[in-house]
Amino acid sequence: MWAVAGILAIAIVIILIEVPRLLQRKMHKELWVFFTLLAAGTGLSIALELHWNIPSPLYLMIAIYKPISTLIYGLLK
Amino acid sequence: MLENGKISLRQFAILVTLFTVGDAILVLPSVMASQAKEDAWIAAIVGEGFGLLVIFLFTAVARLNPGMTLVEYNKKILGTTLGTLLSLLFLVYFLTCAAANIREIGDFMATQSMPETPNQAIYIMFLFVVVMGIRRGLEVIARAGEMFFPGFILFVILFILFLLPQIHPENIQPVLAEGMKPILKGAMASSTYSSVQLVAFLMIIPYVNQPKHILKSFMSGTFLGSIFLILLILLTILVLGVDGTANNTYPSYALAKKINIGKFLERIEAILALMWFVTIFFKITIFFYSFILGLSQLLNLKEYKVLALPSAMLLMVFTIVLAPNTTFYHNVITWYWPFFDGTFNVLFPLLLLSVYGLRKMVFKQ
Repeated sequence: MWAVAGILAIAIVIILIEVPRLLQRKMHKELWVFFTLLAAGTGLSIALELHWNIPSPLYLMIAIYKPISTLIYGLLK
Repeated sequence: MLENGKISLRQFAILVTLFTVGDAILVLPSVMASQAKEDAWIAAIVGEGFGLLVIFLFTAVARLNPGMTLVEYNKKILGTTLGTLLSLLFLVYFLTCAAANIREIGDFMATQSMPETPNQAIYIMFLFVVVMGIRRGLEVIARAGEMFFPGFILFVILFILFLLPQIHPENIQPVLAEGMKPILKGAMASSTYSSVQLVAFLMIIPYVNQPKHILKSFMSGTFLGSIFLILLILLTILVLGVDGTANNTYPSYALAKKINIGKFLERIEAILALMWFVTIFFKITIFFYSFILGLSQLLNLKEYKVLALPSAMLLMVFTIVLAPNTTFYHNVITWYWPFFDGTFNVLFPLLLLSVYGLRKMVFKQ
């Protein structure tokens, strides 16, 4: 639980650092992107902390490159 | 313009060198020795030679639309839909590479110097510095590179000199015992660890103050980095032998431990680790910078620096979920990553060039 609190605290600090300036300069689009990224980062961090099983994106990479890898390294054996 | 900074040709070349050496300084010799055995150094020469060819490709792509970054001309050359798609893929590539490099730092610290510190703490410390660099902008990153560079060169020269007494020439014999195949395998590893990741510099080229001479400085930067890597691989094999290199995850670290000058100057491996932190810092920063700048250009934002902190949080998660364990990670690095790099550094630039050529010839645009 402490870790989740810590992650939220970091998120709040990040908001405090960036958001006032953005609001002042009325950069609304930037605000949207900022909060989307932050929400994704914070959400996923908490999910990790709660031991959710997030599959590695590298499995996708393996699936894509498996045929060519087998072919090339097969030739070079 | 999102990025107001301008960097000089020299700073650009230095960044290229530091990036080329990057994580390869510590990890590459082991990969090379396991793929190409005694001929790892020949494989490295072939691989880095191929890397230099790829630089021609990058400069050719950069010259199509001077003053524009990769993300900007993707859209211009391929049209809005396809261009955005390709840019998104490139953003994923930049983020994945940054995450992989941070992961390597974590693995290294956990196994070699700070086994009891949780990896996350190391990631956070490192990301903190990276984010600081990005929030200061490209000019500051380039100047930092310029500052670290003399120290880096000095250490490299001393490192090589100190190891000369321990060389065993018989370690690289027999030459070409198994023919060309292991060399090609090794060359693939060597090029994708160093120069065939330089596509990130297509995001930086528009901010160099003399774009006309970019090829020369791009080339000299890559060349210097490549020479260093080739020497390093040759040296690890000459000193540690093939098995000693291949069975060690961080052979150059083991190499630095071997240095012993008159029982006085020894155990300088921490300095090597420090050098590695410097080079990998620039590698991560440039990948991450490219990601952030690319994302802001893709979404037409007015400023990119605000995205640094939230993206760092995302990068942190990405680093942790990237690989469940080291074995899995090394498997991917050895068998699949070269093709991943190849797609983004050779295939896609070629695609951009040919589509541009087609449009010029067929549609006369």
